[in-house]
Amino acid sequence: MTYYIQELKRIKRTCFSNKVQVDIAVNTKRYIDTNFDKEISLDLLAHLRFTSKYHLIRVFKKYYGITPRQYLINKRVEKAKIFLKAGKSVSDTCYTIGFESINSFSNLFKTKTGISPSIYRKATFDKSRQ
Amino acid sequence: MKIKIVSIPVRDQQKALDFYTDVLGFVKKLDVPLSGENRWLTVVSKYEQDGPELLLEPAPNHFEPSKVYQDELMKAGIPYTQFYVDNIQEEFERLTKLGVEFSMKPTDMGTVIAAVFNDTCGNNIQLVEEK
Repeated sequence: MTYYIQELKRIKRTCFSNKVQVDIAVNTKRYIDTNFDKEISLDLLAHLRFTSKYHLIRVFKKYYGITPRQYLINKRVEKAKIFLKAGKSVSDTCYTIGFESINSFSNLFKTKTGISPSIYRKATFDKSRQ
Repeated sequence: MKIKIVSIPVRDQQKALDFYTDVLGFVKKLDVPLSGENRWLTVVSKYEQDGPELLLEPAPNHFEPSKVYQDELMKAGIPYTQFYVDNIQEEFERLTKLGVEFSMKPTDMGTVIAAVFNDTCGNNIQLVEEK
């Protein structure tokens, strides 16, 4: 057995031994990945995993380093970038990824990326057409 | 600053190019002759052809510490880097049929499934599927 495989076994024992918790985190992530464009509340996520909101946040953060809400936001911004780069308008992108307000979408996008969605679209969609 | 290049040390650049393209499925991006038989040789993912480039660098042939480092990582079974795949079991079966040697079959590691193979150029490489 190589040193690396020994180390992986040790890491698995110390970090991933609680299968129930790992399943809660992984299945919450999967749900967000496939439903990022819908309304997702912490109550809903906790309900789906038969656990409390507080336990869900703790467990998710233990394995992914961020809360479910932060993961959802990151996922939406990631998808928004794909749509904007493909030429979708800011308003269409906003509604497609599950936002109800263009202002809140734009503010969030700028907070996460440093630039507004319209500038991002101009910089990437226009560049791809050159 | 942007991250555009990831360097992988290789003993034989042509052998590395053949393995990384014909077997792993990367696409050649840049191939610029340098001094001697050396090349600035990069490949990219066919799914992200404008994304980060892998530089297949013959450093172990020219810089002893690089060779020592690569050999020690190899002996310890430690991967030099890792690549992400959508379905690791399918990729494992495909690569095994092509003769690739795995030191670790797909193994559950909590939030991911990981496997490790030999790239025939001096490195172990890890594959990862996010669960």
